[in-house]
Amino acid sequence: MGHAAEGGGPSLSTAFRRARGGVVAASFHVVEVELLRSLVGQLLELVRDEPADPSAGDGWAAELGLADEAPSRPTDPVLLRLFPDGYREDAEAASDFRRFTERGLRDRKAATAATVLASLATADGAGLPAKSREKIRIELDAAESEAWLRTLTDLRLALGTRLGVTEGDEDDWLALDENDPRRHVHDVYDWLGWVQETLVRTLSSALD
Amino acid sequence: MTAPVEIERPEAAEVPVADVPWVTIVWNDPVNLMSYVTYVFQAYFAYPKTKAEKLMLDVHEKGKAVVSSGTREEMERDVEAMHSYGLWATLQKAGDRV
Repeated sequence: MGHAAEGGGPSLSTAFRRARGGVVAASFHVVEVELLRSLVGQLLELVRDEPADPSAGDGWAAELGLADEAPSRPTDPVLLRLFPDGYREDAEAASDFRRFTERGLRDRKAATAATVLASLATADGAGLPAKSREKIRIELDAAESEAWLRTLTDLRLALGTRLGVTEGDEDDWLALDENDPRRHVHDVYDWLGWVQETLVRTLSSALD
Repeated sequence: MTAPVEIERPEAAEVPVADVPWVTIVWNDPVNLMSYVTYVFQAYFAYPKTKAEKLMLDVHEKGKAVVSSGTREEMERDVEAMHSYGLWATLQKAGDRV
């Protein structure tokens, strides 16, 4: 398993904490909010992406969940990680499982990402110009917190899979040249992990 | 005396499938945070923190852990839920080689 980098790297945000009114809250720099918005928007596109073939004529059937064609096993490693096989050694059962679950999982992941986007859009000060140095306070209720946890996970799974992250490889990423674009992506991956760690710790204290 | 009538013994295959327990297995991955995996086990299965942490450590150190057992339908539900949380999970018959 992964672990959050100490201090979260070059973070301008503050850790999530319990706030009044049963919410959890953290502050983000406007640039970080823009980054989150962009990443979550891309995730939304990724999980919504379905082979929509208007010439097929059965679009309405698919819409209603009546099309019984099984979604094929993703070839993109990111999609395969987000929607993994339910069975390891039984391809037929795995295919059936995918047919019965993948569409619903895609819809739920998309709805969850949309909830996160909405909480970013309504965040205090979200309309400020990008040059503003002001911090933006994000407040999350229980449902939004759960959405953030899941979406931060999906984002890290997507970035981590693209990067080829392995267990205990932190030093390898730090050893990359500063101009290597992978190093920048890994910094973002680390930062998302730090944000998630502070959120999950805050929420866990209510479960104990 | 008459010879006893031969009675066919039921084949193992005739045991109702529903009676065969299934298990949900969560596999280690390099991305998910240890704190998050523990949180999921607490939040979804309502396991106490000690049990959730033990299972998380089994996943982390042994590469996998059986996190629940029940009927095939129940395990498919659990695996689907784990996937919605972003955990890597599969189901199989209890006792099958992992």
